[in-house]
Parts: sequence; C-alpha cells; structure tokens
Amino acid sequence: MAGIELLSDQGYRVDGRKPNELRKIQARMGVFSQADGSAYIEQGNTKALAVVYGPHEIRGSRSKSQHDRAIINCQYSMATFSTGERKRRPHGDRKSSEMTLHLKQTFEAAILTQLYPRSQIDIYVQILQADGGNYSACVNAATLAVVDAGIPLRDYVCACSAGFVEDTPLVDLSHLEESAGGTQLSLAVLPKAEHLALIEMDSRLHQDHLESMMDAATQACKDLYAVLDRVVRDHLQEVTTSIGE
Amino acid sequence: MTMTSLQETDVLSSVQPITVHVITIGRLASEACAVNMSPWKVCVPGERLCSTEVCKAGSGTYIRHSFIFASLAGYVVKKNEGEELPVISVARETEAQLLPDVNAIVTCKVTSINSRFAKVHILYVGSTPLKNKFRGTIRKEDVRATEKDKVEIYKCFRPGDIVLAKVISLGDVQSNYLLTTAENELGVVVAHSEAGVQMVPISWCEMQCPRTHAKEFRKVARVQPEYLMP
Amino acid sequence: YLHVALLFWQQVILCHCTLDDLRVDGRSCEDYRYVEVETDVVSNTSGSARVKLGHTDILVGIKAEIGRPKLDRPNKGCLEFFVDCSANATPEFEGRGGEELGTEIANALYRVYDNERSVDLKSLCITPMEHCWILYTDVLLLQCDGNLFDAISLAIKAALLTPSKIPKVQMMEDEEGTTEIELSDDPFDCVRLNTENVPCIVTLCKIGQRHVVDATLQEKACSVASLLVSVTSKGTITCVRKIGGGSLDPESIYEMIETGKRVGKALHAPLQDILNKEESLGKSREKVGFIG
Repeated sequence: MAGIELLSDQGYRVDGRKPNELRKIQARMGVFSQADGSAYIEQGNTKALAVVYGPHEIRGSRSKSQHDRAIINCQYSMATFSTGERKRRPHGDRKSSEMTLHLKQTFEAAILTQLYPRSQIDIYVQILQADGGNYSACVNAATLAVVDAGIPLRDYVCACSAGFVEDTPLVDLSHLEESAGGTQLSLAVLPKAEHLALIEMDSRLHQDHLESMMDAATQACKDLYAVLDRVVRDHLQEVTTSIGE
Repeated sequence: MTMTSLQETDVLSSVQPITVHVITIGRLASEACAVNMSPWKVCVPGERLCSTEVCKAGSGTYIRHSFIFASLAGYVVKKNEGEELPVISVARETEAQLLPDVNAIVTCKVTSINSRFAKVHILYVGSTPLKNKFRGTIRKEDVRATEKDKVEIYKCFRPGDIVLAKVISLGDVQSNYLLTTAENELGVVVAHSEAGVQMVPISWCEMQCPRTHAKEFRKVARVQPEYLMP
Repeated sequence: YLHVALLFWQQVILCHCTLDDLRVDGRSCEDYRYVEVETDVVSNTSGSARVKLGHTDILVGIKAEIGRPKLDRPNKGCLEFFVDCSANATPEFEGRGGEELGTEIANALYRVYDNERSVDLKSLCITPMEHCWILYTDVLLLQCDGNLFDAISLAIKAALLTPSKIPKVQMMEDEEGTTEIELSDDPFDCVRLNTENVPCIVTLCKIGQRHVVDATLQEKACSVASLLVSVTSKGTITCVRKIGGGSLDPESIYEMIETGKRVGKALHAPLQDILNKEESLGKSREKVGFIG
C-alpha cells in the first residue's frame, strides 16, 4: 500500500466510483468480417478484442481430437503497447499461458461441445490496452464473439474481478487497485444457471470476508450480464433491419 | 472466354441440383411471416423458452431439468408437425458452420490416390459450401457395393475428380472422415480426361473424352435424368 | 502469406480486365480502396493510429523510451520495429506461425524508416553517446486482405504525425556524479518530431502486362511479382524493393517506379488533411475506435 487511499472516507474509490460500481462498458459484435465471430469490449480503460474461428477440422495432429466433442483452443495475447511499460513478447510467456488455460477451462464449461465431435473451435483474444480486469474483459469479449459466431452456448459467461479493502469488497478493479496489493478474486459466472465457471483468488483473506466478496462479485457479474444482453439484442435488431424482413 | 471456362461453370451448376436444397433462413422467415403475422421473439443463449411438456427441442436449443433453453442468439421458431408436439428451435440469419455428419451426402474433390484408398477434400455438405476444407478418405472396399475385393482405385478415381459420397464415419484418432460411394447414385460426377477436357459418362464404369474419344475408367454416379442440364 | 487459390478462368478474366484499366471491383489500376484512418486509439502510447484499407486492419502504437544510442550513431535516436501478426487474422498465425511474416515486414520497415533521411533522428538525442529516445513502434495485424505494407506505412506516418507525447528531458548531474533524468514540469512541453520527410510505401503488383496499386488477395494470386516503392511527400523515392517469386524485366520496373512515385506523392496530402482535421477538433473529437 504505497500511500494511495483506495477507499476514501466518504466511500469513493480513486476513480470516483462506489465500491460496487462497475466501470463504463461499451461493446460491439461483428467487428471483423473475415472471422466467424468477433467482438470488442471496453471496460473503463481496458480494451479487449476477441475472435472466434470454427468449428473446423482439427489442425495439426489428429491425436488431440475427441470422439464425442469439439476441442477448444485459446490464445491470450497482449499487444506490446498495451501496458504502461512496453511488453517484449505478446504471448508465450507464463502469464499468457496461464490466462490461455483459464479461458479454455471457462469456455469448455459453457460451449455445447458435444454437438461438434472431432472438430476444433479457436478463440483468440487480444488485449489492446490493459488497465486492470484483463481476464474479465477477455471472457466477456469472447462470450460476445462466440454468440456472434453462432456456436451454441449453454449460457453467457460473465466475469468480474473483486478486491477487499477496509471491510468493503470492491468490484471491477483497475490497474492501480490491483497493483496496490491486497486480495484479488477473479470470478466467471454463468448468470442464468448461477453456476461458477472459474474462481481464482490471490493473497490472504479472512474466511468471514470470502462470502461477502463472492456475493459482491456475483452481483457485479449479473449487472454485467444485463449490459452484454443489451448489446446482443441490439446487434440482432441491427442485423435484421439491415437484411430486411 | 475459352471452352474450358464455359464447361467449368456448367460443372458447378450441374452439381447442385443433385443434392437436396435447404431453404435459407431468410426465406423461411419471410414465408412464415406471410403465413402468421406474429412478431418474432428474440432470444439469447441461456434463455428459458418453455417446458418439455409443451414442445419438443429443435436445433439451437438444449434441455435441462425438463425445460428447454436456447443456445443461440436469434429468433424463436415454433413449427407444428401434425399431432406430435410442436418443435421449437432457434434460427439465426446466417447459418452457422455445418459439419459433415454421418449419413450426409457430401461433394468432394479427390486430392491423391494410392492402391488402398483415395484421399479427398470435402467441399459441400448437401448443398451448403463449407468455409474450411475437411479431409476424407474413401477406402478400397467402400468404392463399390459388389466385387469389393476386385476394385482398383486407379480405375475408379483420379486426382481432380469431383465425387459424390456419403459419410459413414467421423473417423478416429488416426483417420479422417470415412466416405463411401457404394451406391448407384454416388461416385464420380465430373472428371477431366488426360487431354484436359471434361468427359461424358457412357456407363457405370466408363467415361469418354469428347475430343479424343478415348475411354477412361471411373466409378460413375448415376445422375437422375431430371437433374441433368439440357 | 495468405494464399487464395483461383481457378484458371478467373485468372484469365482478371488479367484481361487490367489491360482495360478496369479491375474486378470497378477500380482503375491506380485507385486505392476505401481507407479509414484514426489516431490516438490507444492511450498508453506516445502516438497510435488505426488504418482500415478494405478489409486489412492495422493498429500501430509508438512508445518512446530512453536508452543508449547505437554505437555507429552516437548522437541520434533510433526506431525499433516489432510486427505482431496476431491470430485474429487467420488461425495459421497462432503461436509462432506469424513470426516469419512479421520478421519480413519488420526488416522492410527498418530499411525504409530507420534512417536520417526519413525521420529527423537528431532531435531524438538527449546526451550524445549516453542517452537518446528510442521509439518502439509496434505494429499489430488484425486482419489481412492484401496490401499490408501500404496500410502499415500509412499507420506509421499517422502515428508519427500526431503530436507525440515525447517530453523534453534534461540530464542533471548531482553531487555523487550519477546522472538523473529531469522531465520538464509543463505537460505540453514536448518534442515534436519533424515528420515532413516520412515516406509512404506503395506496393505495385504486376498482373499480365499492366501493374496495379493496392492489390487484393485475389489480384496478388494472379500477379507475377510486386515492387515496393517508398515515396516522400515531395516525390523523392527512398527505397525500392522487389518482393515475390517471379521475375520482372527492367522496362516494367521503370514504369512501376514512375507510377509508384505519382501515386505515393498523391497519398500524403489527403492523409495530412485528415490528421490536421483531427488535431483541430482536439479534445472534442468523438473517438470511434472499434465501436460504431
């Protein structure tokens, strides 16, 4: 804690938000025409792009194929100019591999892979600007991209990060709040079914606080779901009016 | 334009009528709209549509705890099929990627042959073109229904031929999609002779080049007469 | 890179059409496709730009950092390029698949831009032999639809032309003899790069007997070879390079260079107009980005 007050006495955070307030979210589906599905999302200053290809035949060795389901192949990559300090390699380092694995696990829970045996679905996520909540922005963008591609999903996947400062859970942490130390919780939720697809927590936390933090994060995911839902419905409306019923 | 190019366009249009036409969603929507003027209901993945007692689940939906949920973002379509329960499905304006399924008729192009099998690229499933090529194999014993052991691949297929086949298996870890042409309606549809001219079928096992009048062996598909171009 | 297979008759039609100065999509041989340029798309950078040329989508971010100058150029700054062919463009670029294409493009960019004639590198020097500004230029390929070099050069020029936020720096020696970097307090006291000589790259593809500018993937599949010409706003040619597998005769090379010069010179003025308009709108400009 480098002397920055994450939560003021009046209950406001560094960027003026309340503890349970999400950052401003703007999203768009169908950004690229060459991919099967694509989406772009801006959560505050974090910008993420997701692109989906598939389902198609398995590239490379067929030994990875499953006889009764599709395999999900992800890649998480950060643009070299996305962070404050320039990143040397966009992907291939340990953090990216870990994120890739998390994304894969999250979407294996949500996509109905049994409908596409012996095939592969590729999800590629690119972070253009990183300001905290990288994982959540990726998951939200990837959900929109999968919906855009027409791949059947059990439910949306909404993700959010949460922290804990002075007995109050904070949701949707920015980079400043993340790097101040303290607990960080990443949560990916299937909102309608109220199932958790991924839960990851760093640092120490008293057991009593865990429930309040998870409740705050789940509520934030539900709010996020409302925003993503709006985006999808607007996109559907836009597409049908352009085709002309 | 040269002769070659005219014949190529003929080829592509003659292949399509053989396979079953799938009505595109756009036309389906406008037809249904003309029939019953109810507004289309938009749905998103994870939305609960109805219970399994009221409807049957169609494409774009899944069942959980005896309720039908949508799995795609699109329009809810309810179709009545006589006395059975109506089928509820979700339609999108653009068809999602189709995968070759077992017993589907596919159109493919032969890429290489050897004495035991022919390797093909699957281009169309039914009459829908695929965005990505899928690889398939036609084994020696799946080429014909009769005299399976006397088959010579060289006398049935050549690289570059367009073949109508049926999927028998999705394949396992080692192999690709397994296809068969062991029916009268399946086999070579378009083939070019060694002179480079498109050949005319003269029997179930021979094709003739119109320019050099040389005959070549192929396993020819028997095309229904009404589908042939005049 | 991305290969498009065309049937023989499609290639024939394409070649015949270019003879009559009419291409498949209705353009003439020297017309560009619709271009969209937007700057300041990413905020962590000193300068950024996004260019959409047809379906080709490029994002460029420039970060300025202090480093040691190169040994053979002690009183000049330098540019470092990195091209990331992201898997967004095609699944073949996943993992290390896009490295080959990325290195090829980066090497070409080094030749064109990292020299005294294109960018005023002397202004990037802080202390000769000790400190200088290094501009790390990162190119992100989001979608490929032919003509990558032109789009990348437009994006680099746009990113360099925007008021780059490179602050004025002074090196102070304190009592122990260690140098300290002192940034000026005024946030608007920046080093503005002199970018009037920054060239734009024009790629010309030879199809049949004629050559075309801004070839799509299909046209590139029919072409024999391509010529890369980098032209400044005054019409001076700074770099010529032949790419592709076929061979070209000297006559066509001269013709292509002439066309490249003409087309390249005409590119700079509209780009400058757009950027001036953006700058004049200042803070009130509505950032489109990927939304809308």
